[in-house]
Amino acid sequence: MLAQILASLVDGILLGFVYGLAAMGLSLIWGVMRVINLSHGAIMALGMFGIYLTFTHLGLNPYLALLLLAPASLLFGFLVYGVAVHRIINAPYLSSLLATFAVNMMVIGIGTAVFTTSLYNVDFSLGTVRAGVLALPGTRLAAAAAAVLITAGLYLFLYRTRPGKAIRAVANNRAAAALMGIPPAQTLALSFGIGTLLAALAGGLITTFFPFTILSGSGYQSKSFVICVLGGLGNPLGALLGGLILGAMEGLIPIVLPVSWVPVVEFTLFVLILLIRPSGLLGART
Amino acid sequence: MMSTVLEVQDVASGYGEVQILWGVSLRLEEGKLTTLVGSNGVGKTTLLRTVTGLLRPWKGKVLFQGKDITRLPPHERANAGIALVPEGRQLFTDMTVAENLEMGAFSRRAIAHRRKNLERVFDLFPRLKERQQQKAGTLSGGEQQMLAVARGLMAEPEVLMIDELSLGLSPVLSLSLFETMRQLRAEGLTILLVEQNVHMALAISDYAYVLSEGRIWMEGPAREVAAREEIRQAYLGM
Repeated sequence: MLAQILASLVDGILLGFVYGLAAMGLSLIWGVMRVINLSHGAIMALGMFGIYLTFTHLGLNPYLALLLLAPASLLFGFLVYGVAVHRIINAPYLSSLLATFAVNMMVIGIGTAVFTTSLYNVDFSLGTVRAGVLALPGTRLAAAAAAVLITAGLYLFLYRTRPGKAIRAVANNRAAAALMGIPPAQTLALSFGIGTLLAALAGGLITTFFPFTILSGSGYQSKSFVICVLGGLGNPLGALLGGLILGAMEGLIPIVLPVSWVPVVEFTLFVLILLIRPSGLLGART
Repeated sequence: MMSTVLEVQDVASGYGEVQILWGVSLRLEEGKLTTLVGSNGVGKTTLLRTVTGLLRPWKGKVLFQGKDITRLPPHERANAGIALVPEGRQLFTDMTVAENLEMGAFSRRAIAHRRKNLERVFDLFPRLKERQQQKAGTLSGGEQQMLAVARGLMAEPEVLMIDELSLGLSPVLSLSLFETMRQLRAEGLTILLVEQNVHMALAISDYAYVLSEGRIWMEGPAREVAAREEIRQAYLGM
């Protein structure tokens, strides 16, 4: 019994790193530009199919394919920002919700036309890693490691580079940033691109251990919302922590309840956190 | 030979339906300390927002070094050399003192002079040097104002505009910041100082504009303005 709990916990936490990575994308975009990106899930699905296509048709190792997916999703984020978000960046929240939701519907519509809604999977394995009583799928370990590396990369970028600091400045005080000569449009586009990149890479990592459809993104998007609220919206490190908590819950809940109860518990927690501690566990950033 | 660095020509502006400025004209001469004084709510901040491009004028022009910059966005004006120390400081409160200064030097024109300017602002405000790694939001009010001025200086500005230098500061600290202004002017910097402390502002400035209800009510050499009967009665309580 104890071994089972431990195994489920570790399994869930490993998954939590990937959830956290996805949620960071949502959180970053919210923190910098106060836009709730409702195309987040659709972009994760694009990441999934990006890995699927390069793996199935080009025979590319999924982790190498992430290196291609990163710039592609960054560019896609610039495109979405330029077409759908830039013009309504100062409009009330409803406008950006609807605009990103429209992007979501377009991506899913085109995706459904191309891939239908059937189940796909990336037939890739790294075997099983045994440690004591634990037997962990290699792909989950690799995905968690990749998520940690990407997070570290994000933090190095945000805290050590000029464009990264500019993003933090714009998030902190957009008008003051413009007074310093920081170009607002480019900085916002870059932030949106990075948020998109994080979502796509998380989607890509998920394909190495879960099957997926073009519609899979919406479930992960809801999880990202729960995670962001747990960790504090706009706080990327909080998102990673929230991801670990959610992952652990997903590992542990099925031990005592049927799996279908997992979202019920998750969203009950979501509402409770909103009621009791709306700024999240680590506190929201302004 | 005097030359005009910045010129505001007959600017009208406001927010939504509410007109605040009704045809304001003003010139900043190179190397001079110019002050814009007036009571609360007469449009001083609105004028600065128009000069920096945060607000588009309804009519009129803003000229910088002879060029019309009325349609230039704020970040391009920063690149051109217009720096503002905004009212309420508007620091990057989640970032460190060092990062705030680095952001101050973000513009193309400033980046090459970063090292030199950093030394200069640490000379002016040694407190900031001690607190480099501290988050700006945790500084005291006076230190925040020092940082705001220092961040403005990091921009290697052609003209430095300061909105309410002394607001909310202790008399001792205000005095020391006014002294800093005088020192910067002596080094040749063109400054526009917007102040509610009319007495101090007139005492250290070369030239003064008095703004009242959205219009320039009076202008002239600061010493002459300070001596005018209306000014003494309305602003200096004498």
